[in-house]
Amino acid sequence: MEFVIENWGFISKGLLMTLKLALVILLFTTVISVLLGTLATLQNRPLRWLIHGYVELFRSIPLIVNVFFIFFGAPLLGIDLSPFAAVTLGLTLWGSANGIEIVRGGLLSVPRHQWKSAWALGLRPWHIYFHIVAPQSLKAILPAYTGLLTLLVQATSLGALVGVGEFLKVGQIIVERSTMMGGESPAFTVYSAVLIVYFVICSALTWLSRYLERRLGRSASRITQPQP
Amino acid sequence: MSFDFDYLLMQWPALLDGLWMTLQVSALSIVLSLLIGVLGAGIRLFKVPVLSQLVALYVELIRNTPILVQLFFIFYGLPAVGMKLSLYWSGVLCLSLWAGAYQIENLRGGLATIDKGLREAGMALNLQSRQFFRLIAIPIAFRISLPAMLNTAISLLKNSAYLQTIGLAELTFVAVDRIATDFRAIEMFAAICVIYLALVAVLALIAGRLEARLQRPFQQ
Repeated sequence: MEFVIENWGFISKGLLMTLKLALVILLFTTVISVLLGTLATLQNRPLRWLIHGYVELFRSIPLIVNVFFIFFGAPLLGIDLSPFAAVTLGLTLWGSANGIEIVRGGLLSVPRHQWKSAWALGLRPWHIYFHIVAPQSLKAILPAYTGLLTLLVQATSLGALVGVGEFLKVGQIIVERSTMMGGESPAFTVYSAVLIVYFVICSALTWLSRYLERRLGRSASRITQPQP
Repeated sequence: MSFDFDYLLMQWPALLDGLWMTLQVSALSIVLSLLIGVLGAGIRLFKVPVLSQLVALYVELIRNTPILVQLFFIFYGLPAVGMKLSLYWSGVLCLSLWAGAYQIENLRGGLATIDKGLREAGMALNLQSRQFFRLIAIPIAFRISLPAMLNTAISLLKNSAYLQTIGLAELTFVAVDRIATDFRAIEMFAAICVIYLALVAVLALIAGRLEARLQRPFQQ
């Protein structure tokens, strides 16, 4: 318990950094997912394949390799990336690969006749998308997207590996410091605490995802929930 | 800086060693995670008092925490209270526990689709509860949960890359280790990305074949 009081400033800073990282990544991921996810529903074969290739590529490479590639590779290409930027970029590429699939699946879950009826009423494609299809697709998208957010929060722990001072990194530093000063390793207590904090945050998000699913009803087309 | 292909050829044996370790750890963990999955799903299905709640808690705990923190807890946390595991077994334990939680859910999802009518039909044929599970419920549930189970196995293979952080000499570790001395990051990471992509593609192909094979009796 003294740990927590002694290191409170440090711990809260780490938590804030984790949340900041998650929010920034969520923002970029959402923009890319909505854009490319919509484009992937168009009847344009080369474009669809290109997006499909992107999705499969980043879903197949281990996330940690992806982040390391960017962190160690960028300086060799003469690009100067801070650890924060490298993690944000790596996780956004991965997150949006999952997000695109969710948005695409959601848009395709809206029955075709909705498009056709709106078209028959003389609405422009633009209006159909924003007023008819997008709102209905949210029913399928929101629960899955909240699930993705849970994974993003978990994935921010990768920041610790490249030196972003987020929550796991703070835990590591506390363990190192106390081991050096006290001789005894508090690793068990500290990592249990870190696990519990992540558990509380992610459980809340998982609960929200399940609540949305119950509330909005399971959509007809299955969106595959992403796996870490 | 140009892409140095000869360098990769030179490092090829080291990468192969890493790949071998990755495959070994993944294969062992996939088998163990399936055992955990079957056991856990069984406990949940038959609502064994206490144990059932513990399994539910275990699944939630694994799914709602980062695998990296789980790994650190096992590798650094457990020895601090006297449970010392070797590098290799810490890795296997972490991956098996992680994937096991997902396999429990996958199997449960499959069992949940077993229709009540099937149960009644089984009873009408005078099947014992055990016979019903062995002959009807489990084969059907297995076929339905197979795609999800194979997905989890593929995820496990990818997540074996996390073992780099504790120093197990698998594929990613070999690459990062070489980069620390030779600074050939682009070549090395490109190479292991291709290897991982190939592994995942092969596994996905096998998965597809297996699913098609199991669906064959049901095609019209």
